[in-house]
Amino acid sequence: MSGHDSKYFSTTKKGEIPELKEELNSQYKDKRKDAVKKVIAAMTVGKDVSSLFTDVVNCMQTENLELKKLVYLYLINYAKSQPDLAILAVNTFVKDSQDPNPLIRALAVRTMGCIRVDKITEYLCDPLQRCLKDDDPYVRKTAAICVAKLYDINAELVEDRGFLEALKDLISDNNPMVVANAVASLAEIQDNSNKPIFEITSHTLSKLLTALNECTEWGQVFILDALSRYKAADAREAENIVERVTPRLQHANCAVVLSAVKMILQQMELITSTDVVRNLCKKMAPPLVTLLSAEPEIQYVALRNINLIVQRRPTILAHEIKVFFCKYNDPIYVKMEKLEIMIKLASDRNIDQVLLEFKEYATEVDVDFVRKAVRAIGRCAIKLERAAERCISVLLELIKIKVNYVVQEAIIVIKDIFRRYPNTYESIIATLCESLDTLDEPEAKASMIWIIGEYAERIDNADELLESFLESFPEEPAQVQLQLLTATVKLFLKKPTEGPQQMIQVVLNNATVETDNPDLRDRAYIYWRLLSTDPEAAKDVVLAEKPVISDDSNQLDPTLLDELLANIATLSSVYHKPPEAFVTRVKTTTQRTDDDEYPEGTEPGYSESPAHVADGAASPPSSSSYVPSAAARQPVPPQSSSPPAAAAVPDLLGDLIGLDNSAIVPVDQPATPAGPPLPILLPASTGQGLQISAQLTRRDGQLFYSILFENNSQTVLDGFMIQFNKNTFGLAAAGPLQVPQIQPGSSAATLLPMVLFQNLSQGPPSSLLQVAIKNNQQPVWYFNDKISLHVLFTEDGRMERASFLETWRSLPDSNEVSKDFPGIVVSSVEATLDQLAASNMFFIARRKHANQDVFYFSAKIPQGIPFLIELTTVIGNPGVKCAVKTPNPDVSALFFESIETLLKA
Amino acid sequence: MGLVFTRLFSSLFGNKEARILVLGLDNAGKTTILYRLQMGEVVSTIPTIGFNVETVQYNNIKFQVWDLGGQTSIRPYWRCYFPNTQAIIYVVDSSDTDRLVIAKEEFHAILEEEELKGAVVLIFANKQDLPGALDDAAITEALELHKIKSRQWAIFKTSALKGEGLFEGLDWLSNTLKSGGG
Repeated sequence: MSGHDSKYFSTTKKGEIPELKEELNSQYKDKRKDAVKKVIAAMTVGKDVSSLFTDVVNCMQTENLELKKLVYLYLINYAKSQPDLAILAVNTFVKDSQDPNPLIRALAVRTMGCIRVDKITEYLCDPLQRCLKDDDPYVRKTAAICVAKLYDINAELVEDRGFLEALKDLISDNNPMVVANAVASLAEIQDNSNKPIFEITSHTLSKLLTALNECTEWGQVFILDALSRYKAADAREAENIVERVTPRLQHANCAVVLSAVKMILQQMELITSTDVVRNLCKKMAPPLVTLLSAEPEIQYVALRNINLIVQRRPTILAHEIKVFFCKYNDPIYVKMEKLEIMIKLASDRNIDQVLLEFKEYATEVDVDFVRKAVRAIGRCAIKLERAAERCISVLLELIKIKVNYVVQEAIIVIKDIFRRYPNTYESIIATLCESLDTLDEPEAKASMIWIIGEYAERIDNADELLESFLESFPEEPAQVQLQLLTATVKLFLKKPTEGPQQMIQVVLNNATVETDNPDLRDRAYIYWRLLSTDPEAAKDVVLAEKPVISDDSNQLDPTLLDELLANIATLSSVYHKPPEAFVTRVKTTTQRTDDDEYPEGTEPGYSESPAHVADGAASPPSSSSYVPSAAARQPVPPQSSSPPAAAAVPDLLGDLIGLDNSAIVPVDQPATPAGPPLPILLPASTGQGLQISAQLTRRDGQLFYSILFENNSQTVLDGFMIQFNKNTFGLAAAGPLQVPQIQPGSSAATLLPMVLFQNLSQGPPSSLLQVAIKNNQQPVWYFNDKISLHVLFTEDGRMERASFLETWRSLPDSNEVSKDFPGIVVSSVEATLDQLAASNMFFIARRKHANQDVFYFSAKIPQGIPFLIELTTVIGNPGVKCAVKTPNPDVSALFFESIETLLKA
Repeated sequence: MGLVFTRLFSSLFGNKEARILVLGLDNAGKTTILYRLQMGEVVSTIPTIGFNVETVQYNNIKFQVWDLGGQTSIRPYWRCYFPNTQAIIYVVDSSDTDRLVIAKEEFHAILEEEELKGAVVLIFANKQDLPGALDDAAITEALELHKIKSRQWAIFKTSALKGEGLFEGLDWLSNTLKSGGG
């Protein structure tokens, strides 16, 4: 390259950033302002203009409010990415918080609160303190919110500097907006703290009630929410409070109305006078009804809240059921909620009207809605005894329409009606039987079979009806099989004739020998044993009087209802879940003290890898203690899972529970993994004297890369760093490698915490893990390791038998892959099970097939991918067949590598 | 007549503002000097975490004066302000004899900066009102000002509290800048 070519590397054309930089440093104010506008424009469309930080901050000291606001906006956005330089803005904040213009003072304190940079928070305390005592209410109310923000960043600082007291003083402020914001701020701080911070006293109570009438609508919401947590001293005080709050029910803002309702409901608990309560209920109805004329989304929120309210105080809306009738153009989510409330409000007085509505809905087009409407009729029948007959006649009319899903849904609810009112409405069974052939849903089938079994003595051809189902017994879903089993037993007990006797043999045979379903098998054995030992006892058990049912579907647990009522007008009351079920507080006070104890870098990987810490906290305390204890608690599965060969000859009177005790396979405590030597991945000959042995391991639910460095060279090695190439599971280091200086001839071992799904590679799954390690003295060493899939198996991989079967069935056969390992011998069942359990492969069941033993296991890798495993072998003889079924069969090759290693070990 | 001269000067110098940095260790009196120059009065100050910028009009020249915080933690960011600077006012606390060595080191580090090659340097030996304050000759010695080559510089004894020496310094600065020293 000749010297002239250098011109290609220098260009007169500048990029956008240098140009902006120049303009920002212009001596002309207008040009600077335009430049800042350009910067903000670039920022809003997502360009990174953080490199202009100091130049923009230098424009901060200006008389021009517009320019100042723009710079503040920039700061809020970029201070976090430039935490060191953010300190340059501090002096300007301090100055602005003393500006003669209250708007600038407020702006400064608000922006300060939004900049979440630890290094500068302490400088912001003095300005904040001043602003909390500012003459101007606008500044004070802004400062009040700022305290809550600061508390989130540094709670101790807020407590030490007395900001909480200052906030409490603001509750007595003469400006209602300041009061409202102080309340909002204190409430938020209270939410994030375990200590009692915000408690309303009788003194503050009167301040709040006064401010309530004067502040803005959102301020009213804050105050009402705070008031609803106040425990009044007695009924009289509660009445007084409620009286002051009742006018809020007329407010145009739905949030104010709902908050007022919440607050009144809370105080009503204390009010004893029935007159007052009745009066209040009357007053609350119209505002709630008004909410239902808003947009569908607001209607939905209102309905979810009303659902809670009517569960506690049905009287409020008892006369308003008509507003909950569905309009044809209501969105489906509104209709569903309305139905639910209609059921709750249905009474002897309005049932005729309600039934007419339900009948109407049952002929609509939306299948889910129709089903729910049919179910609603059944639930009303169960709820209102006097209306049951009318409900049944409506259901029969609907059955006559012969719409398949209506019929099936009707049969399901009629079963419940029979349970609720035994021996009352059997006359309709004949009508139901007409639809027998059309049933194809498991729940409907199961319901019909239950009805046949329950009333077998009154249905002349009960045996024929049941027999028609028996032919397809093996193919039926578990639900139907269970019902068929029970119904057949009932039939046999009621009509112990030859036909039923043959049927029951077929069923018991099917349900014991032929089935894989442990629940079904268990139940069948119980019946079998009962029948064979004492048929009279069997009668007492199987045909016993059943307890009366009531409609408790969608009825909330009282304590949960209390909690939800206290959270009306929040997301919690829409989800019908307590707040802690879906809100995770980012920081709690205890965690913060932990942070203080471990300043950055003192604990390996701690500050670097919050994810890893969270994982550790979430997983069970220790895998080695968890596995055996779980196994000890569940000694039953192996026992019951060994149907003896004797049972293969069905004999009604024979010994059915001839359990072969030798088949009991206790899962012993797995041996603590005694550290076998790590495989050498970089021999000393290749590594200029450095030898590296490493392996992925799992300890206490955590993934680690266990590494041993041996320094056989002549020099001291230090400054070790590690890097993992992209891999199938995205394995990466959760923190820096902590290896001390290694003297010649000595070695160092370390456990490097690992995380998953960090740097995922594309392409087919592979067990290859490429590692690079460097130090200050040598070149970078690259070597390959293998990811053993079983290291990834999580401690929560144990499946219940039912869910195992369900998962097995739900996966298509194409997802099943199998492989033979002709060289492997399983000589000791216990040892093998231990070995697998130690790797989080959980034993589910064992069965004998000819001379072979078949074992079932479950395992799970993170992100919830399950592996269902079937091992077939003859104990003591070489040859193991392994079949695996998983949603992602691509990884089964890796699985086979793993299982081979485990079984050989 | 005066108006004519003003116009003449302004056309000579343009409407340009001279960009001046006020540097020095913390507690040297930079912020007090800035506001003494700008408003003519002594304001109460707190340590400057960041910067102050004010425009000072003197001798028909507009000075854009940047007062940068002197704390150790902020000193690394001084360099963000170096480009396009015509002059540096380096303020020394003449009574703080313990830290004169640090003041000297920081000062010479600034002089090494490529971006400040063309800047003239004015040194204020501040806090002359305090007992035990060193005079300008002693400060010259302590800061090793004689080592400065190929750059115009001057040192003045000042007291920001009493307002002494500051405008003499600005006189020198404006004359030097007008004569093309900057």
